[in-house]
Amino acid sequence: MNRSTLTGAITVVVVFMLWWLLTSGTGLINPLRFPSPEGFASALGRIWSDGYAGGTLMEHIWQSLRLVLIGFLTAVVVGMPLGFLMGYDRRIEAFVNPIFLLLRPIPPLAWIPLAIVWFGLNDASKVFVIFVSAFVPSVINTYTGVRNVRKTLIEAARVHGATEARVISEVYLPDSAPMIFTGLRLSLQASWTTLVAAELVGAFLGLGRALQTAYRDVNTSMILVTMVAIAIAGAITTILLGHVEKRVIRWRATT
Amino acid sequence: MSEIVIDNITKIFGEGGAKPFTAIKDVDFHVKDREFISVVGPSGCGKTTLMRMVAGLETVSRGEIRVAGKPVKGPGPDRAVVFQQFALFPWKTVRENIVFGMRSKGASKAERDKAVHHYLTLMKMEGTEDKYPHQLSGGMQQRVAIARSYATDPGVLLMDEPFGALDAQTRTIMQEELVRVSKDNPRTVMFITHSVEEAVYLADRVVVMGRNPGHIREVIDVAQTRQAEKWSEEPIDDVMEKSSFTHLRGQVWRLLREQMGDDM
Repeated sequence: MNRSTLTGAITVVVVFMLWWLLTSGTGLINPLRFPSPEGFASALGRIWSDGYAGGTLMEHIWQSLRLVLIGFLTAVVVGMPLGFLMGYDRRIEAFVNPIFLLLRPIPPLAWIPLAIVWFGLNDASKVFVIFVSAFVPSVINTYTGVRNVRKTLIEAARVHGATEARVISEVYLPDSAPMIFTGLRLSLQASWTTLVAAELVGAFLGLGRALQTAYRDVNTSMILVTMVAIAIAGAITTILLGHVEKRVIRWRATT
Repeated sequence: MSEIVIDNITKIFGEGGAKPFTAIKDVDFHVKDREFISVVGPSGCGKTTLMRMVAGLETVSRGEIRVAGKPVKGPGPDRAVVFQQFALFPWKTVRENIVFGMRSKGASKAERDKAVHHYLTLMKMEGTEDKYPHQLSGGMQQRVAIARSYATDPGVLLMDEPFGALDAQTRTIMQEELVRVSKDNPRTVMFITHSVEEAVYLADRVVVMGRNPGHIREVIDVAQTRQAEKWSEEPIDDVMEKSSFTHLRGQVWRLLREQMGDDM
């Protein structure tokens, strides 16, 4: 065990002991305001095996994860090519950018009413809102990344006889990749943020729905359980994306 | 036969706009097949613009440039460029960088492997094929860039201050190496530089340019002296101390100094 893992482990133990001390230990904090470790554990046990708010913890996580992945991936599949074209071709940039500047300041959550009117109170409306929120960072960062591709590298490719297809795949894409991945990370974060908000409005399953139900029941233990579940699910997807990035941008990892 | 014919060209930036700027006016010059030309001149004389037009990276406003008889319409592997900032692809290994231009020409795997081996040996860089550019020193990176251009097998090599970003010592070594490499692999070379020594040491002819707008002021022949005095058989510092060298260098210097005088 190295030094930083040890420090991390000690921090976790200290925080945990403080938590117990302030709640169950001394009773300084009312469990109605913040749960004790025991309360947290029993809420976790309940939602894990018996289920809560229409499903077990894994069912809620799976439902939310599914919506996030569909919304996020759709946004990436549509947003990256659009951002690429905007950065690559001045005419497309001139045409699309004004529309974008107009739509960009609208908070993604402001799309919820329209989404419900268009798609109803189902998964599609939530996926749509997630899509909208993940779309913007995907487009903007790809666009910026492609726009800032080093001109001398493009020229170096052209003077060595590269076709336009090769210039795109061997210069534009690798040179803009770090920026594109920054956009993907922001998109993923936005997806989770939006998901929870979208599920708060009306859902039959999902972490946002569980959180909303726990709030109505004034069950602080369950509120904390769902919050932690959201954090963990979000972290796992972020780590997975990080692995994809490392595989794609190998030349930076080999120092 | 890869001669460069610069046929009375003029370059105007922003032509038809509010502030057109004439960078080069009425430049007329022929570079013979396998001749090494260096171009010097004060900054703003359009020497880089001239090279970029030959490369096809910049359009010509009036006149025409022909390479091997064909008018230049855009960049092509018959005119490889070595850039001041190396312009290696950071995501490609040394091997992948070297074969970049060969792949444009559809070279087979065997041919590519052979070329990588050949050029790395020539550049004294054996064993670096799987390294990435950022793992190499500036001088090494520029060797790879030169190898990439040679491997494309162009008739014409265009070099835009290729040693400008290197420290003085590395620069001297590279100048010597370039003489050695180009002796066995003669190409038509257009070498843009700030350094008068470098221009005289490397070239068969030195083109001195002037500015406002850019034009050719004089062309100085070096090839005769080099052959008579057998420069290429001696180390660079000995060559630079020869009176034949200092005489030519003085000639170029005086032409440049007159240019500076125009501004004062």
